Amino acid sequence: MSLNTNDNTTESTTAPDTFHLHCTINGQPIERDVEVDRSLLSFLRDDLGLTGTKGSCLEGECGSCTVLIDGVPFNSCVTLAGRVNGRSVTTIEGFAQDDKPAILQEKFLETGSVQCGYCSPGLILTAYALLQANPEITEEELIKGMEANICRCTGYTAIIEALRRARREMLK
Amino acid sequence: MPSSTESNKPDTMPQVEPLAGQSCKRIDGADKVAGRAMYGADLFPGQAELFAKVVRSPEAHARVLSLDTSKALAVEGVVGVYTHKDVGGTNRHGLIRRDHPVLVEDHVRYRGDALALVVAKSERAAESARDLVEAHFEKLPVIGTIDQALASGAPKIHPDGNVMGDKRIRKGDVEAALRTSDVVVSDTFETQTTDHAFLDLEAGIARWDGELLTIHAAGQWVHEERRLVALALGLGPERIRIIQPCTGGAFGGREDISIQIHLGLAALHHPGKTIALRYSRSESMIARHKRHALRIHYTLGAKRDGTLTAARIVVYSDEGAYASTGIAVMRKAASHATGPLRVPNVSVDVYGVHTNNNPTGAMRGFGACQMAIASNGIIERLARVLKMGPVTLFEKNLIEPGDEVTTGQHPENITIKECLRAALDKFHSKPYPNDPLPPHLKRGWGVSVMCFGLGYGDGFPDCSRAKVAIDEQGIITVYTGGVDVGQGLLNMAAQVAGTELGAKLEHVRVVAADTGRTDESGSSSATRQTYFTGNAVRMAASELREQLLDITGNCLKVHPHEISLGPGGAKNTPGFAYETANPDNHMSLGDLVREGKKRGYPLEARAMFKPRTVPGDPNTGKSPKAFVTYLFGAHVSQVLVDIETGETRVERHIGCHDVGKAINPQSVEGQIAGGVAQGIGMALMEEVVMRDGRMLNPGFTDYIVPTIRDIPPVEAIYLEHDDPGGPYGAHGVGEPPLIGAVPAVLAAIYNATGAAPNKLPCNPENMWWMLNDPQRRGDFTVTQAM
Repeated sequence: MSLNTNDNTTESTTAPDTFHLHCTINGQPIERDVEVDRSLLSFLRDDLGLTGTKGSCLEGECGSCTVLIDGVPFNSCVTLAGRVNGRSVTTIEGFAQDDKPAILQEKFLETGSVQCGYCSPGLILTAYALLQANPEITEEELIKGMEANICRCTGYTAIIEALRRARREMLK
Repeated sequence: MPSSTESNKPDTMPQVEPLAGQSCKRIDGADKVAGRAMYGADLFPGQAELFAKVVRSPEAHARVLSLDTSKALAVEGVVGVYTHKDVGGTNRHGLIRRDHPVLVEDHVRYRGDALALVVAKSERAAESARDLVEAHFEKLPVIGTIDQALASGAPKIHPDGNVMGDKRIRKGDVEAALRTSDVVVSDTFETQTTDHAFLDLEAGIARWDGELLTIHAAGQWVHEERRLVALALGLGPERIRIIQPCTGGAFGGREDISIQIHLGLAALHHPGKTIALRYSRSESMIARHKRHALRIHYTLGAKRDGTLTAARIVVYSDEGAYASTGIAVMRKAASHATGPLRVPNVSVDVYGVHTNNNPTGAMRGFGACQMAIASNGIIERLARVLKMGPVTLFEKNLIEPGDEVTTGQHPENITIKECLRAALDKFHSKPYPNDPLPPHLKRGWGVSVMCFGLGYGDGFPDCSRAKVAIDEQGIITVYTGGVDVGQGLLNMAAQVAGTELGAKLEHVRVVAADTGRTDESGSSSATRQTYFTGNAVRMAASELREQLLDITGNCLKVHPHEISLGPGGAKNTPGFAYETANPDNHMSLGDLVREGKKRGYPLEARAMFKPRTVPGDPNTGKSPKAFVTYLFGAHVSQVLVDIETGETRVERHIGCHDVGKAINPQSVEGQIAGGVAQGIGMALMEEVVMRDGRMLNPGFTDYIVPTIRDIPPVEAIYLEHDDPGGPYGAHGVGEPPLIGAVPAVLAAIYNATGAAPNKLPCNPENMWWMLNDPQRRGDFTVTQAM
């Protein structure tokens, strides 16, 4: 009788099968049993306590939950945890381990790109992946590549400036 | 006498750059970009012991005949299923009228109404059980539109009927003035229902230890939320503590109660257990209040030379199922009906009508935004009839110092002409593109003007409090009940206190929005926190400064007027007090505090800022001071419209606002750019689509908000004409940028296409109809044409 409310986990009434997952999260090997229908977002947050990855639309539209899987950005809300078996996942917590991500974070802060901050981890990870994947990326391509990450506070003006400045420094 | 070492000497003597006016980085920013900031749902891991889920009605309008919870209770892991019978207090909430049931007794009024609350050992079990609560209904006719609600014989959504209330304004003799006008122009503007779409979903935890109910949940006014929880659950407010976690946006969408009472209810039934409750995106959209859709009938008269004579405005507002802040929104719509235009004769009637749609309440702009669409739009139409440029017509009719606004108030600082001029200068500083366009593309530009009464206004008590303290390390702590939802209240408070006390930002802490530790400071809404809480913080910090100067005077044997406070030197220590003319005679703030304690000084100070406003006359709406102050702004937008597909792209957008004083210029520019983006979203794409009480697009796949590719870099300008009532002359900026943005985009579309938009949003579908259906194209009426 209830609404279909597209929940954080699943709708099934019986306990689902589990899957034995091996992966690397932020450089650390991880081995856990997870339900086969568990999202990567829920696995990271609820099982591993890595709450820097944010859930928002829960249907792959806003990019708040972006993580890097082998360096490529994915929406963790619509990625099953089992999909990262044998792969390497980077979340915002594991991010500032060399100085290049810190450049992005610093540029976000200095340009006023952080208001409520809820979109910031996803935006930073997406931008980092784009800059890493293509050192020749143009400013236009970089901005275009960010269109799957929604920010509701800033109007993107400051974010565009942060991306410009980070691109200049990271590509030096 | 304690004295500091030479290397620690203050290094910025004698003048310290005040923090108020600097683009300091967000004090919570480093945690946010590192993923360390703790939002509501981030409190779950390691803390949540039981999970609650809300059972929501699948019917929009019905009598509840029975509710069977037995199957839900039988689900493994379920520890309780609660209905209205389990609620100890009034079972009601609501910011103005307490009409919204925590759990429905017998009458379902919209599809978000809560029927029951399930509590289980896992979220999965709670979700499974939620779907097994069986309700039997007697369906009632669903009232999906204002017209259905007003039809004779329509079922009553509330015992008093479907008209929730009305607001009126009467100034001069409108009918006589319209009869003698050379031109009279009329149109009907339909604005849409929109969603706040903040990213941080409603989520929080609560615990009842037998003495105190502690709730961690994001709202916009923790002390009011405590009152509402107390009333609904029948628990004294002194036994409730509400703490705001880090909050990912609000925009008015957290003003009404969301999870707080349900969390408290579950906690009271499970003492000693930490309860967790969160919404999915669709539940968030289905449950939460929305922006009012208004239907605005606007008639405007003018003389042949463009001088406005009279406005007759009738507004119908879809209030949805419950009152929320609707009455205040109606009042704000009425009092802003003519914006910053000089109109000698005005009549406004606003009718709020209940439907079985979502309750409608606060959202950035709060009624003033919809009225700006109509008042700017009707001027655009009049300009065409008079064959005048819209800018010329605006400039002719903008209020000037000494003039009055819709309510008869004479604002102290009227700077709308300066705003419009600055926005236009910026626009014209770049050449207008004259590249040849293919025939299906049309370019245009347009302007808008806006004003906004700050604060609750109309005699409603409006108050902020603050406490400022200093410790033996010289660290300053500001305590305020105000919430930071991302807008930057923490920086505002820290920068104001730091300015008064000559401190660097890193030596100022802010404790905010915790009913257990902070005094009530009103809501983060109505663009009020910089003005209200900023003043309270400044007053408290100023009193603390006096204590410090007295202590210093005593210790250094100089008179307080000869003493300065300044930040520390090379070692970046907290600040110093020193003799202004002889900085070598100084002592550290830490030493000062220790000396002060010996002398019995409190070393903290509290302040309250509570300016009064005057309620409008019930028959005329007239008030000498409906609002504490007025804010002004003007926008210019440039668009490119594809008249074949109806797609519109904003190419440039300039927003100019007089903020009195920018306490943090970067935050001000961020508010302008963010408000413009939400305004572009409202103008072009956002719409909650309701059919017979059912929301058709409760998710971001179908509820479209702007992405980085939809918004050009916003050209934000702020003017600083001191507001005599604000801290350092500041007033605020939160809502005005959205209010100004929408009508400027619509004016640009009109200029580009020759068709006058009056139905929002201007998405491809509505644009196509407007451009291709002769009935709709330019369908405003001209009843007297010179």
